[in-house]
Amino acid sequence: MTRKKILLADDSATALTMERTLLSRSDYDVVVARDGREAIKQAVDENPDLIILDVVMPNMDGFEACRELRKLEPTRDIPVIMVTTRGEGHHVENGFEVGCNDYVTKPINGPELLSKVRNLIGE
Amino acid sequence: MSSAKSQLLTPTDLHDTLQAALIEVGENAYFVFVEPCDAGAFATLAEQERDKSSRPGWLMASVRFTGAFSGSVEIVLPERLGHWLVTSLLGMPPEEDLPETQMFDGVGEFANMVCGAWLSRVGDQALFELKMPAVTRMASEWNPVGEGRGREELMCRMVSLNDSPMRIRVRAQ
Repeated sequence: MTRKKILLADDSATALTMERTLLSRSDYDVVVARDGREAIKQAVDENPDLIILDVVMPNMDGFEACRELRKLEPTRDIPVIMVTTRGEGHHVENGFEVGCNDYVTKPINGPELLSKVRNLIGE
Repeated sequence: MSSAKSQLLTPTDLHDTLQAALIEVGENAYFVFVEPCDAGAFATLAEQERDKSSRPGWLMASVRFTGAFSGSVEIVLPERLGHWLVTSLLGMPPEEDLPETQMFDGVGEFANMVCGAWLSRVGDQALFELKMPAVTRMASEWNPVGEGRGREELMCRMVSLNDSPMRIRVRAQ
């Protein structure tokens, strides 16, 4: 069976490492991007099954990246989970407006993230 | 204090919510107990830190926020504790060396989580936007115990994590 591929976009190397470890242990292939622009390029090049986008990133933030992903034919149907810091509750509303499918808050709860990933793309 | 802020915060709220945020982040992300400490205990822990560490320096991580009110959360901690927080979060052996960029990034992420967890408790429906964290190494002569409050300080909380001192300041903008 082909392993599902997930694109992780976050400017923090720490957050990327933590999330990549969590997802790799659950048998997902992971590719990464360090900002919104790179996320869009990686999404087009890698055609992932799911994208996990941090909201606060340099160059292009997660909202703008999600909006762009929804405009592009190759990426418009890829599910997106937004990652936001608690305290930025309005980000959730903004995220759904730009087309994200779900969200998680930092500090990331591993089982919660995995549950949402499985819910969107399966094991 | 602006009217929006006055409606949200009391001094007790400030301290209780910050303590709750630290506990939430410490226990959920780092599996560590956060113990409040007073100025005397903080000074003692800071003194001990000099003796027991090959990394005697201190770091400051600052996260600015804007929204219902604006300000910053500043966390100062010994470099040794910063190293431990990052290796702990990443599941690395505690003795493993970290490049400075990785440690600063991880300490900034810790500050980001604390700031967000605190703001979510401060205003139930209040809107805030967090900026990217900034982490700096304090000068070698810097004294964590002797530093003054500064006029814009809303509160200061001292805690210990793993028997290491940490101080959190919230400043209004």
